[in-house]
Amino acid sequence: MASAVGSGAAVPFWRAAGMTYISYSNICANMVRNCLKEPFKSEALTREKVHFSISKWDNGVPQKPTIRSDTPEED
Amino acid sequence: MAMAAFRREGRRFAPLITPRPIAAVRSSPIPEYGLLHFTVFDFAFLSLQSQYATFGHGLWLPKGPSNLLAPLGVRSISTQIVRNRMKSVKNIQKITKAMKMVAASKLRAIQTRAENSRGLWQPFTVLLGDSPSVDVKKNVIVTISSDKGLCGGINSTSVKISKALHKFTSGPEKGTKYVVLGEKAKAQLMRDSKKDIELCITELQKNPLNYTQVSVLADEILKNVEYDALRIVFNKFRSIISFVPTTSTVLSPEVVEREAEAGGKLGDLDSYEIEGGETKGEILQNLAEFQFSCVLFNAVLENACSEQGARMSAMDSSSRNAGDMLDRLTLTYNRTRQAAITTELTEIISGASALEG
Repeated sequence: MASAVGSGAAVPFWRAAGMTYISYSNICANMVRNCLKEPFKSEALTREKVHFSISKWDNGVPQKPTIRSDTPEED
Repeated sequence: MAMAAFRREGRRFAPLITPRPIAAVRSSPIPEYGLLHFTVFDFAFLSLQSQYATFGHGLWLPKGPSNLLAPLGVRSISTQIVRNRMKSVKNIQKITKAMKMVAASKLRAIQTRAENSRGLWQPFTVLLGDSPSVDVKKNVIVTISSDKGLCGGINSTSVKISKALHKFTSGPEKGTKYVVLGEKAKAQLMRDSKKDIELCITELQKNPLNYTQVSVLADEILKNVEYDALRIVFNKFRSIISFVPTTSTVLSPEVVEREAEAGGKLGDLDSYEIEGGETKGEILQNLAEFQFSCVLFNAVLENACSEQGARMSAMDSSSRNAGDMLDRLTLTYNRTRQAAITTELTEIISGASALEG
């Protein structure tokens, strides 16, 4: 996705750093959640857990899946 | 005449029959059919059949564990077998009932969230419109399905719609790719559309669904896939018994610009004032990304609701079927039990009368 540098207007810093709007807003939301007091803070942080396994497919052949997870993998 | 009757009964009870080894082979009376006499031909026919243990049509004489020919005239169905069958069917019924309860509780938990998440993408539709008939070069179809099975036909309908969309949007210069969420759609799409799959995402529901997870996912998709239009296929949850396969279209900012020039809803975008130091292209890009994330979030939640609802109804019909099967087996069990008792009685009585007479 090409970063849309409009007619002379400056690109915001996060766009220049390669982040999408989504990752930018996620980071902001994380900061807001960390501002809470206990016990609301731990409740809010449970709403932030990420876990999925993604694998790219290259012309019909699946590559090795990578797991994006906040929870530590138990082996 | 006897064989026809036996064949009829055999077709019903064939899987359940084991012969009780009885030493003396004699033409004892069969309770249900009254006194029948067997001709020599019948006996020869039966002894031939003992070599063949076929179930189903016609032949009903299985080889028992002791390899003895089941004696003439005694249809001996072991009650033990029917009892075992009844026990296993009852267990299955209990399990499916429990699964239905679990699905119902999960549905309750997730339903309110899905309905609330509808408010996330509605403003986008008001602003940018949802135009599934847009004609673009690079289409990406995001198919959402479940990881677990036993949920009725919702995954198959999603895949069917995805394939239809694929056909609809492919053409000479156009390309369509799949991004698959969930194991079930992956298994189905792998069969004939392997080349078109771009990304596969599984294990999405390990933690309860939240926006952060879906937005990270959306980010991954946006980074890895080139697109002009993203079409998200999912099952919208209308009620516990009704799941409608729907598709939402999210356009890339360049396409939005192009469509804005064409007029229509997007053409009104220019009437909005832009605050801050950003350009329209900037804002459109942010909006497009955010729109995709919100629509995907809603789609994943709705699909999860539909999955639980479909599982509820599937398990419900399964327990009902198990109940029916249990009733039929109970009847069979009682019938065999009474037949065995009657056989014993008649043997005793005929033996006693033979002694006297």
